[in-house]
Amino acid sequence: MRRLRHWLTERIELEGLLRFLKGKTVPHHRHSYIYLSGGVLLFLLAIQVISGTLLLAHYSPGENTAFESIVHLVTQVPMGAYIRSIHSWGANLMVFFLFLHLFCVLLYKGYRRPRELTWMGGFLLFILVLASGFSGYLLPWNQLALAATKVGTDAPRALGLPGIWISLLLRGGQDITGVTLGRFFALHVWGLPLLFFPLLALHLFLVQLQGMAVPPSIEREGGYGVIPFFPNFLYRDLVLWLLTLGVVLTLAVLFPWPLGEKADPLAPTPEGIKPEWYFLFLFQTLKLFPARIMGISGESIAMIVILWVALATFLYPFIDRQAEPTKTPLLLRLAPYLGISYVLFMTLWGLLS
Amino acid sequence: MKLQDSYISRRLFLSRLLGGWLAGLIGILAYPVARFLAPAEAPEPAFVLLSAKDYLSIPPNSAKAFAWGYKMGIFIKASDRSLRAFKGVCSHMDCNVSYKPEERRFFCACHDGWYDEAGQNIAGPPPRPLERLEVRVEKRKLIVHLPGAVLPPEVEI
Repeated sequence: MRRLRHWLTERIELEGLLRFLKGKTVPHHRHSYIYLSGGVLLFLLAIQVISGTLLLAHYSPGENTAFESIVHLVTQVPMGAYIRSIHSWGANLMVFFLFLHLFCVLLYKGYRRPRELTWMGGFLLFILVLASGFSGYLLPWNQLALAATKVGTDAPRALGLPGIWISLLLRGGQDITGVTLGRFFALHVWGLPLLFFPLLALHLFLVQLQGMAVPPSIEREGGYGVIPFFPNFLYRDLVLWLLTLGVVLTLAVLFPWPLGEKADPLAPTPEGIKPEWYFLFLFQTLKLFPARIMGISGESIAMIVILWVALATFLYPFIDRQAEPTKTPLLLRLAPYLGISYVLFMTLWGLLS
Repeated sequence: MKLQDSYISRRLFLSRLLGGWLAGLIGILAYPVARFLAPAEAPEPAFVLLSAKDYLSIPPNSAKAFAWGYKMGIFIKASDRSLRAFKGVCSHMDCNVSYKPEERRFFCACHDGWYDEAGQNIAGPPPRPLERLEVRVEKRKLIVHLPGAVLPPEVEI
């Protein structure tokens, strides 16, 4: 063991790395639990990568094989339904914790100077996770997936010519066909991860470089202690990971993910159809706008508003530059609360209507 | 009640408890993955039925392939008109062999292995002969079966 360590030290400066890990600390105060919201995402990502790789072994994309291969997977392959359910529930939990992570950072002003890049990278990761959810949803090629993808790839059309191009590019034609399925498959298992992992590496590197952000309220009070990351904070992480694992496995066993009926482009859309819960706030927003506002299509206005809000969220560290909350204009101080309340309210409304 | 003395300290007891729990947890997680990845059962057939017309009509000193489960089987009518069948995979590294009528030998292209008409390895790297299958003709069917395989009586011929 000591010889191995020596061998590695000669080549990769192992001692420095170990010293860094030993010296790494995490601020300890009454809001410290927010620091757990990022680690659990890493854990869920690992579950998604492992279960996804396993699913890939049996999935075959294509109009005439995708649904059939999932039927084979869940009926014939030992533990196939279980692995598939873990992937589906894991994805939902990942999106849930992602919203939580984003809300925590937003409310505790974790994006302040010098962490603007961490925020912006994180926001892009958020978009990529939603895109992974959206593209993965089509892969079983069932009725619900077909309808959801129709709506989702139709939405950009409201933005005029560039939107129409995006829609055509995503669909690979005017309609959703096996070509679309191929594209979504390529994006889901390769294209999106290819963007995701370097961005994640940057995000984590910046977090290591700058350490955890301390909320302004704690900073003002001054005295907060630190605890070592290893092992004290890691143990706290592990507790949450274990609980999360328990939740994912329990859901996968008790509520196997349904498969539904095979997609049929000629069948009428199932009634009362809704997108996955994490797109509901966007879905409800689109519903909110009337068909025409002063002669302009309401859908176009809704899409433009959504894009501007997304851009504002992406650039939020540059909009809210005051470290001191009391000096922040009232509107900016309320903006995160309003935004989060809006998302929660619209999601609830969508769930209940 | 506190014991006077014990073979096991509290720390050892607790760390073994934790270790045992950890091993159990890993087992619970690894078992489904192992089941999922376990090789699928694709048993070798005991026999296959082929059309006698298609196979017996080939000229002497020629061969014709057939499906032996997921492997290639090779049926040969030798130059003396005797009928034989083999599993058509080389005993060296599992490549499919072909029959060379001009040489009257089986040839494996992967590493230049040679077998004679009776399946004996005669040149190149193959360590063993080709695996032999039995051939029987009944009515309009050619039955190829494992040596010693018991054919079910209800085989539709």
